[in-house]
Amino acid sequence: MPMGHTATAEAGSGGLTATEHRLANGLRVVLSEDHLTPVAAVCLWYDVGSRHEVKGRTGLAHLFEHLMFQGSGQVKGNGHFELVQGAGGSLNGTTSFERTNYFETMPTHQLELALWLEADRMGSLLAALDDESMENQRDVVKNERRQRYDNVPYGTAFEKLTALAYPEGHPYHHTPIGSMADLDAATLEDARAFFRTYYAPNNAVLSVVGDIDPEETLAWVEKYFGSIAGHDGKPEPRSGALPDVIGEQLREVVVEEVPARALMAAYRLPEDGTRACDAADLALTVLGGGESSRLYNRLVRRDRTAVAAGFGLLRLAGAPSLGWLDVKTSADVEVPVIEAAVDEELARFAAEGPTAEEMERAQAQLEREWLDRLGTVAGRADELCRFAVLFGDPQLALTAVQRVLEVTAEEVQQAAKERLRPDNRAVLVYEPLTADNATDSDTDEEAAK
Amino acid sequence: MTELATMEFHPQPQAGEARPWAFPAPGRGTLGNGLTVLRCHRPGQQIVAVEVLVDAPLDAEPAGLDGVATIMARAFSEGTDKHSAEEFAAELERSGATLDAHADHPGVRLSLEVPVSRLPKGLGLLADALRAPAFADSEIERLVRNRLDEIPHETANPARRSAKQLYKELFPETSRISRPRQGTEETVAKIDSAAVRAFYERHVRPATATAVVVGDLTDVDLDALLGDTLGEWTGSTAEPRPVPPVGADDTGRVVIVDRPGAVQTQLLIGRVGADRHDRVWAAQVLGTYCLGGTLTSRLDRVLREEKGYTYGVRAFGQVLRSAPDGSGISLLAISGSFDTPNTGPALEDLWKVLRTLAAEGLTDAERDVAVQNLVGVAPLKYETAAAVASTLADQVEQHLPDDYQATLYRQLAATGTVEATAAAVNAFPVDRLVTVLVGDAATIEEPVRALGIGDVTVVSAE
Repeated sequence: MPMGHTATAEAGSGGLTATEHRLANGLRVVLSEDHLTPVAAVCLWYDVGSRHEVKGRTGLAHLFEHLMFQGSGQVKGNGHFELVQGAGGSLNGTTSFERTNYFETMPTHQLELALWLEADRMGSLLAALDDESMENQRDVVKNERRQRYDNVPYGTAFEKLTALAYPEGHPYHHTPIGSMADLDAATLEDARAFFRTYYAPNNAVLSVVGDIDPEETLAWVEKYFGSIAGHDGKPEPRSGALPDVIGEQLREVVVEEVPARALMAAYRLPEDGTRACDAADLALTVLGGGESSRLYNRLVRRDRTAVAAGFGLLRLAGAPSLGWLDVKTSADVEVPVIEAAVDEELARFAAEGPTAEEMERAQAQLEREWLDRLGTVAGRADELCRFAVLFGDPQLALTAVQRVLEVTAEEVQQAAKERLRPDNRAVLVYEPLTADNATDSDTDEEAAK
Repeated sequence: MTELATMEFHPQPQAGEARPWAFPAPGRGTLGNGLTVLRCHRPGQQIVAVEVLVDAPLDAEPAGLDGVATIMARAFSEGTDKHSAEEFAAELERSGATLDAHADHPGVRLSLEVPVSRLPKGLGLLADALRAPAFADSEIERLVRNRLDEIPHETANPARRSAKQLYKELFPETSRISRPRQGTEETVAKIDSAAVRAFYERHVRPATATAVVVGDLTDVDLDALLGDTLGEWTGSTAEPRPVPPVGADDTGRVVIVDRPGAVQTQLLIGRVGADRHDRVWAAQVLGTYCLGGTLTSRLDRVLREEKGYTYGVRAFGQVLRSAPDGSGISLLAISGSFDTPNTGPALEDLWKVLRTLAAEGLTDAERDVAVQNLVGVAPLKYETAAAVASTLADQVEQHLPDDYQATLYRQLAATGTVEATAAAVNAFPVDRLVTVLVGDAATIEEPVRALGIGDVTVVSAE
């Protein structure tokens, strides 16, 4: 068995521990000590993401995340940023399908400030939220959308493929950035209602990791967060459950100004938090992770039909995960050539399963990714929150790599056989706009809505 | 507001007592083959970072073969005397290792990261790559084709396209810095395995190279390990290559790279400054941060947080080529993107921010916050072995002393508001800035001309 190759004695957890606490208002708190460097990471996950958004208000969770940096009861304007950076800290927030996170990494002696700031906006954001910041951040987010998606080649591929892979009306049908029309339509009252509904201590997990005194830290958390009232009434998000397999091949061809043809696809895979998801992760790694994978060797090295070829995994807990194929073609190579080769490799892999050496390689790569993620206090704080929010147990973060190493070759083969099939994928094909096909250029319009 | 009543407010807490932290000082030595080695033990860092700097700068590329250093760098991980290309990649990944190699103006750099338990294996592969690269005809052909396929992707990317144009504008055509680092279609197409091998034989040798090793080295006999791996690499002795002087033309002007229908305009403003040997560097870092280092700096305070014209604009200084005597150069730049209709107003505001800075200077409060951030984030920034190794390697590459970073932190703390203001104003004089805009010329040309920030020319994106 290729399992004796763990890179460190404790394989990823590195002897790390975490303790869990809960305030009377429902705020869950996870603490993890590590005194190697005089820094402490604060991470706060709110259990709300784009899957909670309603029709006509896509992008609201993310727009709201921006508003969380526009001041609160005791913090003026951009004070959150100013105070953290002025204390030698770094900070940000991000929004995904399933959660919104906010984080600060501070020099140890400034930890209390970060807790004070997070508590202030959790408890009193609406005291500062006004039209001016709403209008301003609406424009900022629209420019974020342009910069990251609309103004770059293939920039909207993720949005298009997600819309194909999850049916209309499904909570994951749209991506967190939202549509321009919905961003325009969002009102200040929408933002206020969003805060009142989702930003409550009992809908959040706070983790503090690093050079901390747990008792003192917990006392600060109690002091600053303890008086914020919890409230219920958060609507459950619409169910993301779908059959294991799509049952047909979904397909869209986009004719756009792109530098080369591309074949992208999203395969429907098991939910995050399951052993089957870890098995699928290993299958994707053998097939399309790094530069020794089957697809890279076939398309880039041997056939030389692609510039780049690889698989990624978008892990999702509340809906099927997505296995993400991305191949950009070389020179004049046509997409069907690539597609035939991909299908052949996937079918062969499903029939043969991984070799012992491939298993060892894939497990070593995933183990290394875990070492990287848990190797910084900020990464560890985020993972502890993730497992607490999505799976109810932060300790699972510290053993995640072990679970990946326990998966067998048979399970990996089974994942490929059951899931990596042509009738279980949404395919997005890019064809560059030329003088000949210019009139067809609006074929992507319906799907982009 | 009822919301205010729902929680108990406390005054903003005061900082506790800072715990000491200093940028690590590396140990320095030389192997028998002449390879310089810097080592730095970082307790708890289980992923070891190794950087190797090779004295093979882009200006050493033969005429007409721009890109040969890049192809060589990539070919290092495409097979050795022990492994085929596929096997080499597999061996690396089996070790949970990553190996990146790239060529830039100062030289070729290889970066290995590997769990400490597999360090012997990782160092062995790295040494093989440097010592006995295969450079097989077929692999080089593949890398050349692959590189040619990448170029249209870069041309289509607004940020990459703006950088290409700016270098072309700032530097004379004869200077290597004016041309794309990884070559053009014309030059890359001429590269073959003979050219790669010739470049390797001429420029790659341990005597002019440096390795930096950082991580938790508690149970590692690094001397023995290096002796068995990088110590086996041999080559002739040679003097380091001299750094050629570079002239630049920063006459204030605007170049629009036309991208019809673009929803945003990509902005890159630049000019040339001194390298980090210059005494002004610390003050310039400070002043540039105040101007455009973060969301609360002057540019974003107006362009993002007041006007909403952008997702973010940054000002920065980046060393392009450093010389031991301080005659090297850096790029001083401002970059970001504006939505197309607001491009004119955004540039007008940007110039207003620069003029106000020149007229009124920075405030003491701005300076204080900037120092606290730049110095205070050091322990966060250097948490991983890779971050420490990268900075140590930068210092070597730029001919700076090993304690440069530690000294810079002290200099920043000692820099006053007046010096920071002067440095920022000198770095970004309103009439000596070359502005590249990648965007929809039909919409933005007239408003940009109306600003009077220099002659405006429009070029095609292709």
